[in-house]
Amino acid sequence: MGRIIEEIYVWRLPVRLYHWINALCMVALFLTGMYIAAPLLSPPLGEAVWYKGMAWWRYVHFVFAFVFIANFLFRLYWALFGDDKYARFGGFRPWSPSWWGKPFREQVESYLFLRSDEPNYVGHNPVAALAHFLFIFCGSTFMIFSGLAMYGENNPGGLSAALFGWMIPLFGGSYTLHFTHHLGSWMLPIYVIMHLYAVVRHDVVDRTSVTSSIITGYKHKVEEEPV
Amino acid sequence: MQSNQTFADVFKARGVSRRDFLKFCSLTSVYLGLSPSMVPSIVEAMEKKPRTPVIWLHGLECTCCSESFIRSSHPSIEDLLFNMISLDYDDLLSAAAGSQLEDQRRRIMKEYKGKYILAVEGNASTKDDGVYCMVGGDSFLNTLKETAADAAAIIAWGSCASFGCVQNADPNPTGAAPVSDIIKNKPIVKVPGCPPISEVMTGVIAHFHTFGTLPDLDRLGRPKAFYNTRIHDKCYRRAFFDAGMFVPSFDDEATRKGWCLYKMGCKGPTTYNSCSKIQWNGGTSFPIGSGHPCIGCSEPHFWDRGPFYERLAEVPFLGSDSNADKIGVIAVGAAAAGAAAHAAVTAVKKAKSDKHDNNDKA
Repeated sequence: MGRIIEEIYVWRLPVRLYHWINALCMVALFLTGMYIAAPLLSPPLGEAVWYKGMAWWRYVHFVFAFVFIANFLFRLYWALFGDDKYARFGGFRPWSPSWWGKPFREQVESYLFLRSDEPNYVGHNPVAALAHFLFIFCGSTFMIFSGLAMYGENNPGGLSAALFGWMIPLFGGSYTLHFTHHLGSWMLPIYVIMHLYAVVRHDVVDRTSVTSSIITGYKHKVEEEPV
Repeated sequence: MQSNQTFADVFKARGVSRRDFLKFCSLTSVYLGLSPSMVPSIVEAMEKKPRTPVIWLHGLECTCCSESFIRSSHPSIEDLLFNMISLDYDDLLSAAAGSQLEDQRRRIMKEYKGKYILAVEGNASTKDDGVYCMVGGDSFLNTLKETAADAAAIIAWGSCASFGCVQNADPNPTGAAPVSDIIKNKPIVKVPGCPPISEVMTGVIAHFHTFGTLPDLDRLGRPKAFYNTRIHDKCYRRAFFDAGMFVPSFDDEATRKGWCLYKMGCKGPTTYNSCSKIQWNGGTSFPIGSGHPCIGCSEPHFWDRGPFYERLAEVPFLGSDSNADKIGVIAVGAAAAGAAAHAAVTAVKKAKSDKHDNNDKA
């Protein structure tokens, strides 16, 4: 193993906290959501008033959902106004042809084994930035909007229904919105597989300690192994 | 014509006492979600306003809406109201037929221009100039457009007229389209359901008659008074849902005990209607009350959200029927396979380049 020649503080504490709270919430939301869709456990015979089987799972789902939303809003604030060059939206301009240019192409080529050298980025590389935009930003936004629209159904005319109820006709009815929300939840395991694979692979190939960086905040530049 | 008679006159002629008439007015105000202070307005409208002329058209439909309306087993406050609206044209119920009947429709349209209500049961075929639904020698598409032109408002009875129902279920061979897709410039109130509850139907007419306007509509164009909450919200089995006590199959003990039908595919949690409040046939029962899951008949495209007895709809995916979970598992599997393949290629490449490095060294 080569010697550490540089330590770079990449992920500041708010970003790391966001990451782990987000991870916890998404896993909890996926599991409770799947349970709500297909409740497996059945209470023993008795009076309904003794049990809170389904109500409890829904309650937990809603609690994690609101933590998830607050955390997401915080991250959005941090990306827009935080003084943090590795966590800002700043360089991410998918609408701009220049963004789709050389750096993005080079990174894609590298992932497709079309070039031998690996472009090196301290923060997110362009492909990672795009994946995060699609899965984390767009995905979370959709899940939050559709989730709040369905949450609003519990209280017609309430705040959530007033602000997000338009999602229901947009998706052609409450059932289709539920279905799409359910389908959307599968983004999580897909994303987790790709995310973990990419992280471990970069750690093995580039040895930038990207895995531990989300706990410690530091990435390392390592000296090339003596040949 | 009887159209100048008021509702009160009709009640009186049919031997309904004033006391019963007032009871009917109070009941209607409750159905409509109005405050008790509005009861006098309803009484006044019923007593003094001439009956609202209604033209009732039938397109591509099964007549279950009319059946719901005229078969209400209970004395017939609904039945009475049905006779009380000045139903000046209804090709299903009229004794007259042919050009005589069509002349009547045109006469009403002229006489009450801009004042009559157009009630549409069923929808119109739009493919091939609407040739798949011909009524009275013309396509229903033309008749609908012609009659809608001078209407004050349109009531779309049932899921067919509101959302399309079975006629425009996939693949919709006749191009059946709900009224709101064809008529764009008239206020339309959608009263979905297959069929809608008769009290809901009479309530909508009573509201229009009393206030001269359509009732408050929700985002899908349905009267809020009846479609504001889901079946689920007022379901008497809701306690079993919250407790997690579900019927696992129809031959289970839980079925006998009347537990929640959620796992049997009940669409109550996503269906907006009054079945669990007003119930059917004069408050006798409703589907869940007789042990059958709600099929969501008042929701858009409910035929394409099946099967009725599954929670998750089946959707076409990669050439066969699938559901959200199957699609999700396939996608996760594909992601995992992709990652594994990518890892394998990475390992091979690395081994090669290491060998290369070693060769260089040697």
